Amino acid sequence: MQQLADRLIDHGFLSGLPRELGYVLVVAFFAFLMLSFIMTVAGVTSWLERRVWARIQSRVGPNRVGPQGALQWLADGVKNIMKEDIVPLAADAPLFKGAPYLAMMGFFGAFAVVPFTENMIVADINIGVLYVSAVTALVVVGILMAGWSSNNKWALLGGIRSAAQIISYEIPAALAILTIVLFTGTLSMQGIIREQGWAPWNWFLFDNPFTFVAFFLFFISALAEGNRTPFDLPEAESELVAGAFTEYSGLRSLLFFLVEWGNLYLIGAICTSLFLGGWQVPHFTENGFVLGLVQFLTFFLKAYFMVFVAMWIRATLPRVRVDQLMTLCWKYLVPVAFANMICAALYFAILPHGSIFVRLGMFAFGLGLLVHFLNRVLFHLRRAKPELHFSPIV
Amino acid sequence: MGYFDNIRESVRTIFEGMAITASHMVRKPYTIQYPDRVDVRVQDTLPFRYRGLLDVDLEICTGCLACERACPIDCIVIDAEKDKNTREMVLKRFDIDLAKCMFCGLCSEPCPTGSIHHTPEFEGADYSLESLIRRFVKAPVVAYKPIKGPETNPEIAPLLARGLRYLDEFASPGDAS
Amino acid sequence: MSTAIDIDLHREGPGGLETEEMTLNMGPQHPSTHGVLRFVVKADGEVMRRAIPDIGYLHRSIEKIAEKVGYHGFMPYTDRVDYVSAMQCNQGWAMACEKLAGIEVPRRGEYCRVIACEFGRIASHLISVGATSMDIGAITPFTHAIREREYINDILEELCGARLTFNYMRIGGCAWDLPPGFARRAIAYLDRFEPLIDEYNELISFNKIYVERLANVAPVSRERAIAWNLVGPNLRGSGVPYDVRRDVPYSAYPDFEFDVPFGTGERGTLGDCYDRYMVRMREMKESCRILRQAIEGIPPGPVVAKVPRTFKPAAGAVYTRVEGSRGDMGWFVVSDGTAFPARVHIRTGSFAAMAAIEELSQGLMIADLVAVIASLDIVAPEVDR
Repeated sequence: MQQLADRLIDHGFLSGLPRELGYVLVVAFFAFLMLSFIMTVAGVTSWLERRVWARIQSRVGPNRVGPQGALQWLADGVKNIMKEDIVPLAADAPLFKGAPYLAMMGFFGAFAVVPFTENMIVADINIGVLYVSAVTALVVVGILMAGWSSNNKWALLGGIRSAAQIISYEIPAALAILTIVLFTGTLSMQGIIREQGWAPWNWFLFDNPFTFVAFFLFFISALAEGNRTPFDLPEAESELVAGAFTEYSGLRSLLFFLVEWGNLYLIGAICTSLFLGGWQVPHFTENGFVLGLVQFLTFFLKAYFMVFVAMWIRATLPRVRVDQLMTLCWKYLVPVAFANMICAALYFAILPHGSIFVRLGMFAFGLGLLVHFLNRVLFHLRRAKPELHFSPIV
Repeated sequence: MGYFDNIRESVRTIFEGMAITASHMVRKPYTIQYPDRVDVRVQDTLPFRYRGLLDVDLEICTGCLACERACPIDCIVIDAEKDKNTREMVLKRFDIDLAKCMFCGLCSEPCPTGSIHHTPEFEGADYSLESLIRRFVKAPVVAYKPIKGPETNPEIAPLLARGLRYLDEFASPGDAS
Repeated sequence: MSTAIDIDLHREGPGGLETEEMTLNMGPQHPSTHGVLRFVVKADGEVMRRAIPDIGYLHRSIEKIAEKVGYHGFMPYTDRVDYVSAMQCNQGWAMACEKLAGIEVPRRGEYCRVIACEFGRIASHLISVGATSMDIGAITPFTHAIREREYINDILEELCGARLTFNYMRIGGCAWDLPPGFARRAIAYLDRFEPLIDEYNELISFNKIYVERLANVAPVSRERAIAWNLVGPNLRGSGVPYDVRRDVPYSAYPDFEFDVPFGTGERGTLGDCYDRYMVRMREMKESCRILRQAIEGIPPGPVVAKVPRTFKPAAGAVYTRVEGSRGDMGWFVVSDGTAFPARVHIRTGSFAAMAAIEELSQGLMIADLVAVIASLDIVAPEVDR
């Protein structure tokens, strides 16, 4: 984007402005574009989540507002904005009002390094992945502020639990990322994607068994960082109130929820870049625009598939209790992540360029898992007898 | 070793659970999207014994007050007195307070003709409490006197048939089925 | 409605640090199906010291109403004593009145009662296991359980005309006989339902996270369960194989062959939440067994005995017990010879379970309190009547 900004300032319609002001304007414009895109994606995710849950639960989900209910998220958003803005009397007002924005900054800042296509990335810094890890830690500050300033014991409990959870799960996530970085030698997101290919056996997911394990480690840790089930104790339980966000209403609570759904997309985007080959497609045309479009769609669909898997997991699994959550992190994920990284380093030392046999073998293993999964799905479908309907309506 | 057993057990059960939910995603949902996306009127699909809102067929009411006595909540108020001149029962008032009614069916059981009965109607919500007091007598009417043999009056016969069919559903002692 | 709650502030913690005990209120409004219950929780951070129950939010003076409406008129009120499984409450009241007046219910009536009660038991257990799953965090098993319960509601709607407050039984038998086609539909439902219990188990009961949440949580030993007056699946979950249907047989239950599942500490300690939960899952299968036998073997004949319109039993007192979904439900009726009972008292399993929570909750985490309430299957209408 640096080149784009320079071009606009030197020859384009921003000529005549001082260079720094030009940069600020360009960055602000792209930030606004990105914000609109991410907020839309987060909103649509909320609608899609409800539809997916509903189908899993044998019901229908929102299907009245707009075609198939696709505008439900707009209606929810408008409703939330129109609600009364309640700041509790005894709450710490500046912290209370500022907490959603901090959480928002934490998650939104990470989108500066998400590569949507080969050329469409806001800032291709050479410490991309590390930057993402660092910026998402701001969300912790936001949640702690929310919990403390609400002047509510439940909120405080929820906020502290959430903070402990997010900080603990940064470690296995970072270790999993490091496993990938071992193989690429670069922290830059575009660099990591360029090391992969468009074919599934060229993805890092199937590169060798250690990156395969790293994928699952990263996904679980990322779910925990995003406060999603099975790790959503701070927000959905805390004794049946909303946890750190209990006292929030209207627009502020909407911002927290948008952070949660947008975070899902961020997790999907990082997973895609690191493990699933990013925007890589075979070079089938010279037309840059069409190629860019296909790359964008590929990246978006891969990231959204991970979002779908997160929704599916949320509908399936129960919550983990807080002490069990900590046990899972420190006694299971961290040692496994360390062992995985050491084995990956050994593998890298022996085979610096990997081996096509290992890649194809891992791909076959993945396919085998998928076939086994579909087998189980068919078994359950066959076992459930056809639907009985006593009432003639159905 | 318990450590690896835990991991294996978690992976296995989570895999199985995800397969079950995936199988549910492709099944037909159970929801009936009432009231605007159903093909038939729901009231027409309910069983005959359904205990919906109460209705009184005043043409076959005998004024015996059995329903008023049977109701545990005293939501039925009937004014019936024997006219001194014509020696006939005259019904002056038959009010059912549906706001109090708990749809237990104890009133429809002792009715001799099935005049008070439950209908499949269940959409009774309204904005005023007054409208829930159903007043079935508009002007004083003469109560029905059951005759021996089949009823010939064409206006009353179908009502009586329906009422007796409703009462037939109730089990009676000594009734072999 | 205030309970004396002593708050020890400024406790000396380790290292000479002053700590305070938090008093939290799990208020009468809960997003779960247990009804209006309130707990005042004194917690030290995450660990609870005591959870003091506060009851009475759903008190409707049902026992007093009985003295006003008379014996026949009280039958619809018994539905409301435990509206999640209303058939067994109907049976309890009917049996108490029949014992007072010495009325014998015809054989077919007894079979109809058993069919209705066992369907009610399956429906109630479905809600219980669904609500337990939802409280632990899994949202889909609840909707699956409710979907199955809807089918049972459809079956019972054809039988008696209502879906929740059935008012199906009368003193002396049942109000309606089985409608035509009932046996075919009921058996079709049971054929569909039994494999779904296995599917439900594989989805949630054997899930490692779920087992970790419920196993070893709040174990109740045999002696404590008996001392605290727990009944039903709570008692059986602690390893005491006591079931009123088998040990104090009533109605047509001696004709049927069924097992009484009880907890063995299969995944944790004996009498923990998981044991109680699995007892309910297994009981649903046993109810299916009883239902098949009852529907197949139902004898012809009347379903109700002749009972006077104004029921005036002889003076005396009687205590009958039925196996409700939540355990041994006791019906104590005192008659003074008039058409209205002098006193009715209903002894329910949830009341004792509520009292047990105060001791059980010591040392548990707040997240476990929800699991304990759910696994003891406490419903507010039974506690408060």
